[in-house]
Amino acid sequence: MNTNPPRSRSALRRLLLLLAAAAILVIFSYGWTVTRIDLSVPQEPQRQRNVGNALRELLSPNVFTQDYEVLTATAPFTIGCPDAFEASPVVASDQPYIVVEPACGRANEVVTVRGYNFAANGLARVNWIAADGERRVRRVVGASGDNFITDGSGGFVVQVEVPRIRGSAGQTHTIEVQGRFPVGLPRFSDTTGLVIEKMVETIFLALIATAVSILPSAILSFFAAQNLMHPVRTPLGGLLLSFTLLPLGWLLGTLLLGQIGLLALNVGRLSGVSGATTAGLLLLGAVVSTRKLGGNAVMPPGFNPRALLNAVLFAVIATAALGLIGGLGLLFGSTFRDGLLGYVGALLGSLGSLIELAIVPIGGIIGAFTLASIGSTLTRQALKHTSAAMSHVLGGILGALAGMILLGLTASIGLTAAWLSLLTPVAAAGMASAILPLLYRRFVHRPENPTTTDRAIRTVLSWSGAAAAFVVAFLLLNVRQALVEGALPPQTVAFEALGIKFYAYVVQAMLIGAVLGGVAGAMAGTKANFPIGSVLYTVTRTLLNALRSIEPLIMGLVFVIWVGIGPFAGVLALALHSVASLGKLYSEQIENIDAGPIEALQSTGANRLQTIMYAVVPQIIPPYIAFTMYRWDINVRMSTIIGFVGGGGIGFLLQQQINLLRYRDAGVAVLAIAIVVSILDYASASIRERYI
Amino acid sequence: MLIIENLTKIYDNGFMALDNINLEIPDGQFVAIIGLSGSGKSTLLRCINRLIDPTKGRIIWNGIDITAATDDELRQIRRRIGMIFQQFNLVKRSSVITNVMAGRLGYINPLFSLVNYFPPQEKARALAALERVGIADKAYNRASALSGGQQQRVGIARTLMQEPEMLLADEPVASLDPATSHSVMKYLELLNQEDGLTILCSLHFLSLARAYSDRVIALKDGKLEFDGLPQEIDNERFKMIYGEDAVEVEIH
Ligand SMILES: Nc1ncnc2c1ncn2[C@@H]1O[C@H](COP(=O)(O)OP(=O)(O)O)[C@@H](O)[C@H]1O
Ligand SMILES: [Mg+2]
Repeated sequence: MNTNPPRSRSALRRLLLLLAAAAILVIFSYGWTVTRIDLSVPQEPQRQRNVGNALRELLSPNVFTQDYEVLTATAPFTIGCPDAFEASPVVASDQPYIVVEPACGRANEVVTVRGYNFAANGLARVNWIAADGERRVRRVVGASGDNFITDGSGGFVVQVEVPRIRGSAGQTHTIEVQGRFPVGLPRFSDTTGLVIEKMVETIFLALIATAVSILPSAILSFFAAQNLMHPVRTPLGGLLLSFTLLPLGWLLGTLLLGQIGLLALNVGRLSGVSGATTAGLLLLGAVVSTRKLGGNAVMPPGFNPRALLNAVLFAVIATAALGLIGGLGLLFGSTFRDGLLGYVGALLGSLGSLIELAIVPIGGIIGAFTLASIGSTLTRQALKHTSAAMSHVLGGILGALAGMILLGLTASIGLTAAWLSLLTPVAAAGMASAILPLLYRRFVHRPENPTTTDRAIRTVLSWSGAAAAFVVAFLLLNVRQALVEGALPPQTVAFEALGIKFYAYVVQAMLIGAVLGGVAGAMAGTKANFPIGSVLYTVTRTLLNALRSIEPLIMGLVFVIWVGIGPFAGVLALALHSVASLGKLYSEQIENIDAGPIEALQSTGANRLQTIMYAVVPQIIPPYIAFTMYRWDINVRMSTIIGFVGGGGIGFLLQQQINLLRYRDAGVAVLAIAIVVSILDYASASIRERYI
Repeated sequence: MLIIENLTKIYDNGFMALDNINLEIPDGQFVAIIGLSGSGKSTLLRCINRLIDPTKGRIIWNGIDITAATDDELRQIRRRIGMIFQQFNLVKRSSVITNVMAGRLGYINPLFSLVNYFPPQEKARALAALERVGIADKAYNRASALSGGQQQRVGIARTLMQEPEMLLADEPVASLDPATSHSVMKYLELLNQEDGLTILCSLHFLSLARAYSDRVIALKDGKLEFDGLPQEIDNERFKMIYGEDAVEVEIH
């Protein structure tokens, strides 16, 4: 009785196991076919010979070369031994010389050649020079090749057959011994030199790519850390206001801050070190005055002109300082062009021109965020004291504006590539996902203590709202056409304002955004706590995961199109991939930290940035160092092959050698890669061990 | 005066950790909060400085509604409320003095914190705070090199930097041995008597509550089970708070 159910269960399990085994078998057989595995191919003799030769050459890398000197000695030989023959006397000397015995003979007779004063243990061969001057190699008796080896004292005794040459009887021929002897020590071959040069390029390619990626990925890692982002919530009103202020801030930032930055840049470039120092001192003075402004006094809550002034001043100082640095970089770059300083000059110069290019957009970004933060700080108090009804009205207005901007932005991005037009329906779905649950809470049921059912209902409502909005936006914006035909949305201009062209397509998206944002904002009200942290977390993680899934070789292909063949393309490809990969690795380290200090510092009244600086950063430095080393290690591996797509480094050389069938040269490159990778492997492992 | 009205906390998973708590705590009182583990002591303390956002109810301190404060206001309020923890919550890799100075962050221009700068007078203040808890000589050691009792004293020095008016202590001695526990409790007593700090301290052992507190609050399953003088807790009340099988242990 008792044993029956387990037995039937085990029978079922056995059956399932059998089915699983059968399924695995089918999958593997299909894989076997798909990968065209054919065991007869590797056995074809021609292929085996080819691979044997290639491997033999690969395994004899021509790392070294050797200089040789050729020593030659001759002796006469008379064919046929005429009666009057008399061997000419041999004069012993300290030069290489040979003695032939007998000094005359008939064809096919064997004669003995003795050599003296050649170099020890070298390769030598016997040449037969006929009367007409024709020279042929005579293989010595018992040898398998043309060459024989001299003995330890530089002498030899070999035997050769007299060749049968028609009509040569009575003639005197010459026997010549040529020896090839190494001079000096072996040295590295030209190939080795080239490989070392390319290897250095490769290592630096990996180093620069890693170094460049550290800062962006460190910043991104904070946004991709769930434990930091999840608790970040902010009142919806302030957030929406900030968001609507972003474009205005951007505009003001590019106009005002951007110009300040350019001015500072020119001051740095034109006025030289003294002018820049003065400007720097002025900036320092400004910083000191903000310090006074920051003060220790208890700031009254609410409207705080000091904080506001601080924010503006900080924006100005930051932009000006960046501009100044850029200007000095340009100055330095144009002053120092030669020698070791020339390298530094080139680096600073290109940093300077990078800043020159970026300073106006950077000013825009700083402006956007400054204005947004000022806006939300200023209105936080006001929003707090608005009545409930007012909060919903305001929420509707601000929500409509924010939705308009958001979808306007995604639609503009969608104008650039067909598949990017999917962004707009996705963003619309994100906004709409809030609406139905809010409606439900307001008009149907507002649970005090939400149960599992309540949560399930919310999830269903939220997904159905999202799906509906996605479909509507998809149809209205005709995304189908973009996806299927790869056609960009039509670029019909609806109207022009402020010098900006508004495309009909974008305006349509903005209208959808206004409706969805307006409804969602009105339903939620400005007092709702928006989980901005979770949203940022999700966006950052998605972005990092998408980037990480693109192999650096593919990125390399794109960058080669952009900046041409060479290590620069490789640096860009590896750096981009490293940002994605390090961002993820770093963020996992943040998620692993001890949360206690964060809680402790929050309880002291530290703000979010301070909490991160003093509670998070000290905890993540060791793992960050370890993972950066790890990434450098990976980047060196990758940079050895990024050259295959034109990304520079040793891979480029290796590919050329393989294409030219120069396997002995390729062997040198392969050897170099193996050595460098294993050294780095070891080094990075031991450094990591110290930090983890 | 700290007034807690109808305070209820329901966690995201639906668990009700605090159920309609009402309390009035006058300035300068040393209040012990006792209860079994899981009874809601930590939740109550964290609702007061809003490390946890209450689900319902109000907390009013000196006339300011903490539960309605915006982020900026909350930071201003938190500066005046110190907190120490069972696990000390120090940054173990940082030096003792950095840990202590971090207690001052609420007063410092955030731009300075970006470049890890503290004005010199803050360093002096931190050394004075360490002096007060008797470990000034450890200022430049790593926090992890200190014993448990010393680490908790660093925690106290950190809250001293805030110049607090109230101190929340969440089982500050639960990870310490009895002798060290008393030395840490003595510091809290000192802050209560010399500096006039209001102290809310959750404790595992009733004997510690009896020895140091003016008033005992007992929680059971998130509800207020007892609120009164330490000596009012007789055997019957004790069994109500801790359950039928509990036996009171003394800690010396
Ligand atoms: N973040 C959380 N999510 C869900 N439940 C929690 C959370 N934190 C605490 N709890 C639960 O709330 C109850 C009270 O916890 P706590 O306040 O830590 O009690 P105490 O400090 O008295 O031991 C416990 O049952 C605990 O499991
Ligand atoms: Mg607890």
